[in-house]
Amino acid sequence: MKRFVIGVAAVGLLATACGRSAGGPAEEAKDVDVNKAAGEVTVWAMGAEGEALGAFAKEFEAANPGVTVKVTPLGWDVAHDKITAAIAGNATPDVSMLGSTWMGEMAKTGALEPTPGNLIDESVFFPGAWGTGEVAGTAYGVPWYVETRAFYYRTDLAEKAGVKPPATWEETTAFVKALKDKAGADLGVEQNFKQGSWQEVVPLVWQAGGDISAAGKWTFDTPEMVTALTHYASFFEDGLAATDQPTGAFPQTFVKGKVGAFYSGPWMIAGMEKEGGADFAGKFSVAPYPKGSAGGTSVIGGSNMVVFKSAKNREAAWKFLQWLTDPKVQASWFGKVAALPSVQAAWQEPALTADQRVGVFGDQLKDARSAPAVPTWEQVAKVMETEIEKLALGKQSAADTAKAMQAQAETIGTGA
Amino acid sequence: MTRRMWTYAGLAAGLVLVAFPFGWTLLASFKPESEIRRDPPTFLPDQWTFANYAGLFERTQMDQAFFNSTVVALAAVAGNLLFCSMVGYAFAKLPFRGRNVLFGLVLVQLMVPAIVVMIPQFVLIASFGLVNTFLGIILPTIVTPLGIFLMRQFIADIPDELVHAARVDGAREFRIFFQIVLPLCKPALATLGLITFFTSWNGFIWPAVVAQSEDMYTLPVALAIFSNAQATQYGLLIAGAVVVVLPILVIFLFLQRYFVQGTTFTGLK
Amino acid sequence: MVATVEARAARAAVATPRPLRRTGIAWVFVAPFVVVFAVFWAGPLLVGLGMSFTDMRSTDVRNPLGVDLVGLRNYLRLFDDELMRKAAFNTLVFVVTTLPLTLGLGLAAAVALNSGIARLPAAFFRLGYYLPYITSIIGIAVAWRFLLDPEAGPVNQLLAAVGVDGPSWLADETLALPVIIVMTAWRSFGFDMVIFLAALQGIPKELYEAAEVDGAGRWERFRWVTLPMLRPALLFCTVYSSIGFTQFMEEPLVMTKGGPAGATTSASLAIYNQFGSGNFGYAGAAATVLFTVIAALAFLQFRLARPR
Repeated sequence: MKRFVIGVAAVGLLATACGRSAGGPAEEAKDVDVNKAAGEVTVWAMGAEGEALGAFAKEFEAANPGVTVKVTPLGWDVAHDKITAAIAGNATPDVSMLGSTWMGEMAKTGALEPTPGNLIDESVFFPGAWGTGEVAGTAYGVPWYVETRAFYYRTDLAEKAGVKPPATWEETTAFVKALKDKAGADLGVEQNFKQGSWQEVVPLVWQAGGDISAAGKWTFDTPEMVTALTHYASFFEDGLAATDQPTGAFPQTFVKGKVGAFYSGPWMIAGMEKEGGADFAGKFSVAPYPKGSAGGTSVIGGSNMVVFKSAKNREAAWKFLQWLTDPKVQASWFGKVAALPSVQAAWQEPALTADQRVGVFGDQLKDARSAPAVPTWEQVAKVMETEIEKLALGKQSAADTAKAMQAQAETIGTGA
Repeated sequence: MTRRMWTYAGLAAGLVLVAFPFGWTLLASFKPESEIRRDPPTFLPDQWTFANYAGLFERTQMDQAFFNSTVVALAAVAGNLLFCSMVGYAFAKLPFRGRNVLFGLVLVQLMVPAIVVMIPQFVLIASFGLVNTFLGIILPTIVTPLGIFLMRQFIADIPDELVHAARVDGAREFRIFFQIVLPLCKPALATLGLITFFTSWNGFIWPAVVAQSEDMYTLPVALAIFSNAQATQYGLLIAGAVVVVLPILVIFLFLQRYFVQGTTFTGLK
Repeated sequence: MVATVEARAARAAVATPRPLRRTGIAWVFVAPFVVVFAVFWAGPLLVGLGMSFTDMRSTDVRNPLGVDLVGLRNYLRLFDDELMRKAAFNTLVFVVTTLPLTLGLGLAAAVALNSGIARLPAAFFRLGYYLPYITSIIGIAVAWRFLLDPEAGPVNQLLAAVGVDGPSWLADETLALPVIIVMTAWRSFGFDMVIFLAALQGIPKELYEAAEVDGAGRWERFRWVTLPMLRPALLFCTVYSSIGFTQFMEEPLVMTKGGPAGATTSASLAIYNQFGSGNFGYAGAAATVLFTVIAALAFLQFRLARPR
């Protein structure tokens, strides 16, 4: 009993110590003197980029004697937990790659260092890409590579059905219908309605002239959102998109010609050639997003590189980031892992201009926006995915989906 | 005789059902990527290849990860065998004040979803300077509730008279424990050792969070590098799964004879 | 079981000459657990409980005290959360079906293996049956996803051979959870089997002989000798498995990510997802509720199993 009382008292004391303090002034970036760069830089990077970056960084080491880069590759599955834990335990590396949608959350922890203006020039990046790292008026890290989505389709099937790639929403429906009815693509268009499905819907909202957040508030329950959701759901309703396929069935369904089109990022160009073999390369192409009533804006994603405040080697860390965002280096990095340059000038390099399909993404990037860089974005995205799945499976209407998203997103807030 | 034949038939049918996924995976690991996903599927590889394994060792520091996993798992086994049986012995044979409260805490640890404590535990590990060390990976599970539970249950079944007789002879508790109780626990220790080994060997999230450089990665952590959402490489993944499972299989084969020793234990009753 | 152990212990205490020194030495024996628990578990557990009463998020990890107290709001929100309710329901269905299935399979396999079949085949079967339990979930997921593939999977190919159009197992809302249940039973029964085997081998032959003399048939011997003697093993497996199954998460995580439409989302997986998206306070509240349910369940089982 006595111990219980002491316990309660301790908890009580702790509780009185709690409380959020009002947000201070925006953080100031400090200049970096790269001439002092020396020693080892520790870097975390995920997936294929993580595997390739170690060897790639040798060029940087060669150009900067005295600096070494030690890359630790991580799996995507565990990266978010691992970085959060490292921040909590103050055991971060000098530099880490972050998914662009994590920026808001990680910046809010106070662990990231603002981008030094004397070293990194905002204007060389795509504005949408720069926007992913800008949180509450302060920029953190640099956009490293970008992704945006466009419309993939089977050229041979389109030819067989006698249709051209769609330029508008209406044409998309007719296009998919033709592929299905005339060219045997009985699964129609592949629309993701599970993990990551927000990326399918958010561009449609913008294309309908709406937005999902405005002035620090979520705005899901709007006529534009309903329009976007209705358009998205119509493919499922009309039997032009399937919901009964297992995880992993796509992209083989596209290779086999059962799926005639889908929306995805640039990595699928290489992915498709691998899935379908060398002779498949000529059977598909990429078109810009079909336009809605307000245009054809796509969503921009990708990954950023950040420096932590607790970095042991700040100068060399920023110097490495500066090197990574050099146009020539960005183009050569594209050659390694097909990651699209976030730096506009890199798109003039031959590596990027060789494949017309890659160029489509370059053009689309000029009309692409990022998801809101707020700390709660990952949570709200999960809410969207849950509700989108219900919509896709025909369990709720577009209007109810919009309402459900709004209600839950309001509970979560924007974390500001 | 017919009944025995039926038993064999039943067991064999069960084995086919249980082992089929393994056989299929093992065979698939020798198929080229394109054949793995061919429709209709092949059972035996059309074209045998070691490319998946070669790729695996080329892409990751497999040998290092293998070594790390072994060190971590063996240390966890050693710790659990000694400590869980000590604690289990106290719970089973040594009445003491606070026993019920303490056993309650063992159960609490067993019942809490591990994800809840992960970040606070990491903060502790970091404050001890144990990030990116074997100790940091091993320490929180050096003695586990399941092991304590298992050993307590097993030791409770050892006749009290054996322990008493030794006490009357003036033997110290540690001598009783090491010379009388532990030798009787071989079957339980074999079970516990195997369970601890594979739990540690297959552990993923905690080692992935604590190990911060590739040379500290365990096998599952190293394998996770290339299983990402966008382009999962099935051939590598399947080969990786085989590499992870094989050592456990070998160890289990090796421990078989201890599992059978339950019979020696019966003789005491 | 606890009661019998205590009774036995009480007898031992009376019989020993120096009962006082037992407590001292006992604490030496339990020291490894006490130290590890005090250092690595006590604090984190209290943090987990504490944050369930706050609005803590992943963004507060650097300044964990800079959060607002919200009282029971996280707990109240749980009841309004459709996915959480669904997760609770799924977990209930899962435990109620998987537990007897696993125990039954484990017991059947153990009894069959103990029915006097030769040593070498017995060892072989034992190994085979135990294999799924000790295999990494990564390997299991890879194998099962391919087995169940609606087009190229051997299961549906087999069904097609007998003229049945196999369903899309994991993408079907009504089939996904049953598939996970079967898969978990397949994966787990080997553990119960080994525990039962050890217990079966500990049953003195004389008991069976005596029963046979009394004219007991095969079933009666099983019912009145085997089952009562297996009681401690059964209790152990039941308690341990129900604690484990109530926390089931790995299988849906790797097979379906909780889908389709939350059909395979378990309580633990929902909590894991909440942590993953940084909602620490809410996740802490959900974890506390889950823990309470598990503890109550275990307590109930100990109570029910107490010999009258």
